[in-house]
Amino acid sequence: MKQEENFARPDAASGPGAYRQYAREWLHSHLPAHMRADSVDYRTPSLDECRDWEARMYQVGLAGMTWPTAYGGHGLSLREHLAVNKEVGALAMPESVSSIGKELAGPIIMAVGTEAQKQAFLPAILEMREYWCQGFSEPEAGSDLARLRTKATPDGDDWLIQGQKIWTSGAAKAHYCLLLTRTGTVADKHRGLLMFAVPMDTPGIRVVPIRSIDNKQSFAEVFFDQVRVPDSARLGAADEGWSAAIRVLSIERATNRMYRAWRFECELRQLVRAYQSEPALRGRLQEPGLRQAVGQVVSQIDGLKGLVERSVEQLQAGEPIGARGSLTKLYWSECHQAFASLALSMVADINPGHSALAQRAKAHFTQAYLFSRAESIYAGTTEVQLDVIAQRIQQLTKD
Amino acid sequence: MTMQSEELQPEEFGQAAQAVIAALQGQGPAEAAAAMADAGLFGICADEAQGGLGLPLAFAMPVVRVAGQMQLSYPLPEQIPASKALQGTEAGGQLLRGEKSLCVVMAAQAAGDWSGVARNGLQADYVLVQTDAGFALYDKAALRCQAEEMLDPEVPQLWVSTTGATPLLTLDAEQSQAFCADIKLLWAEYVNGLCAGALERTADYLQARVQFGRPLSAKQAVRHHLARMRLLLEASSAQAWRAQRADGCDAPREADSALAAALSQGAWVLEKAIHLHGGMGFTWELGLHRSLREHKKLDACLGAGALMRAVGADFIDRCEVTQ
Repeated sequence: MKQEENFARPDAASGPGAYRQYAREWLHSHLPAHMRADSVDYRTPSLDECRDWEARMYQVGLAGMTWPTAYGGHGLSLREHLAVNKEVGALAMPESVSSIGKELAGPIIMAVGTEAQKQAFLPAILEMREYWCQGFSEPEAGSDLARLRTKATPDGDDWLIQGQKIWTSGAAKAHYCLLLTRTGTVADKHRGLLMFAVPMDTPGIRVVPIRSIDNKQSFAEVFFDQVRVPDSARLGAADEGWSAAIRVLSIERATNRMYRAWRFECELRQLVRAYQSEPALRGRLQEPGLRQAVGQVVSQIDGLKGLVERSVEQLQAGEPIGARGSLTKLYWSECHQAFASLALSMVADINPGHSALAQRAKAHFTQAYLFSRAESIYAGTTEVQLDVIAQRIQQLTKD
Repeated sequence: MTMQSEELQPEEFGQAAQAVIAALQGQGPAEAAAAMADAGLFGICADEAQGGLGLPLAFAMPVVRVAGQMQLSYPLPEQIPASKALQGTEAGGQLLRGEKSLCVVMAAQAAGDWSGVARNGLQADYVLVQTDAGFALYDKAALRCQAEEMLDPEVPQLWVSTTGATPLLTLDAEQSQAFCADIKLLWAEYVNGLCAGALERTADYLQARVQFGRPLSAKQAVRHHLARMRLLLEASSAQAWRAQRADGCDAPREADSALAAALSQGAWVLEKAIHLHGGMGFTWELGLHRSLREHKKLDACLGAGALMRAVGADFIDRCEVTQ
């Protein structure tokens, strides 16, 4: 492994190109083979390994890029962020174990948090000292958050929280929950919503993991039974936190996990190379039907890159993104699901006698196919996104 | 007139083209060409020294998009890049001034004596033919041509054979590659324009058409179809936008990918637009069929599916495992 001093970090004036080059060289030199999903040496990395990797990325300037320097960020623009994300995507590295903190909690705290909250939470997110989970969805309130029931009741200088959340990704490992509650009743709909930063070790919180179809337990039910938090845990005034969340979500839908298109391309490359590594399979890559299917995927990836890059340009120009994030989310999820189905059908041809690279691809894409079923569900289902596009982008009348 | 691209916005060219094309209704090809030449549409990308505006391709993209939206049958997507590629020659000047018109034959359908098929060209004076060596310009009068009206009786496709004919000039490899990337991107945006026009008309119709006391646009199934049409159009447009910003060795690949996407996604959008109009969509009078025909003629000229296979083959080749 190379020493850090061999890699000169570009300064802010260097521009996106220099950052991309720097990111490419540093990432390729430092990511261990056993953490690369396309390597025959791959093994599922532990939480500590992922944490250490992300912490190092932050230390060398490849994470927290757009956050203000006052809170530990590097104070750069979305263009540099995108440039680095292209290289993050191009390498089969583990998904972030702190994406909720970096892409949702952090921006909301920046928008509505007190100075003390910003100083307390933001550097800890970037330094990978604290993980967050997102307590929005409930059994009776998925996309329709106006129906949420988890109640926050004032009690002296504290708040008492009672209720239940579900589909809470990373709850078992999180230090804090970005918790959405209401002060009134369900009849109040979007009024009276209050957001908290709740430590997950607070008495009264119970996490019950949910086993998913990919045989993992990455999300959970979270029960809040008379959980007492101080008023200092509140993020913004009533309705303020929710308004910030809506703003952040609209931007995040367009820009979060910006690397997705490039990671998608990386996966396609892994699949093709697995076939190329095996003489018995190599000939199939000459089949017109398979070439057309690969071409379709490449073309969709290019379309996704266009949507992401255009969003960045619009944000940089000060234009609102609004509902346009739904376009990126929906296009990615459906194209990626289709690709995962294609990949699964291709790796079905791989048998135990084939190359190690082919075996690795079979394991990866079997898992990827199963996980991809979630992609049209989380962060707003396909139908929710279609409703958003119809109503807010195409602006179709209903009566 | 000196044009400083930093003072201009591509969108303004789209708006100007819209006004010009709207005024062409009922005019013949010669009058239409003269009006477009007067407005500077053919010379957007040609050098100022040659009578053009010397602007990047980004300024031509909204122009051909509007041409698609307004179902312009004149070969504007062909003539803009040809005026640039042939600038400095007699033919280039004639194209730029609107005195002559041109059609383009890609090599995808070359077989036997036939060099390929143009999506239009019955009225064309020149034919630019793609060969293994690059593009060659011919006087159409010197070629054996056969119109094919099956797909479009109003604006037929044109099969072309260059056998025995001598080209007026040839483009070298670099010029050919640049022209090829330019025309593919302009075709992609033209198709996106066809789709944008169809989507706009369909959305307007479904919001105006009332059944059971409510507009059809209130029904979720209909709304979701329109949302998907918008999604595919946005993705395809963003892809073309990204591709015209590509440079160096990525440009040809990105252009192929953008055109392949516009064609594959555009087919769904145009077919759905016809479907959502119900019986009206199936009528000649409504005119959506013209957009579908233009799309299908272009697809045929490129060898339906061949472009997507080429994109796939290129990716596979670049993945080659290095041991």
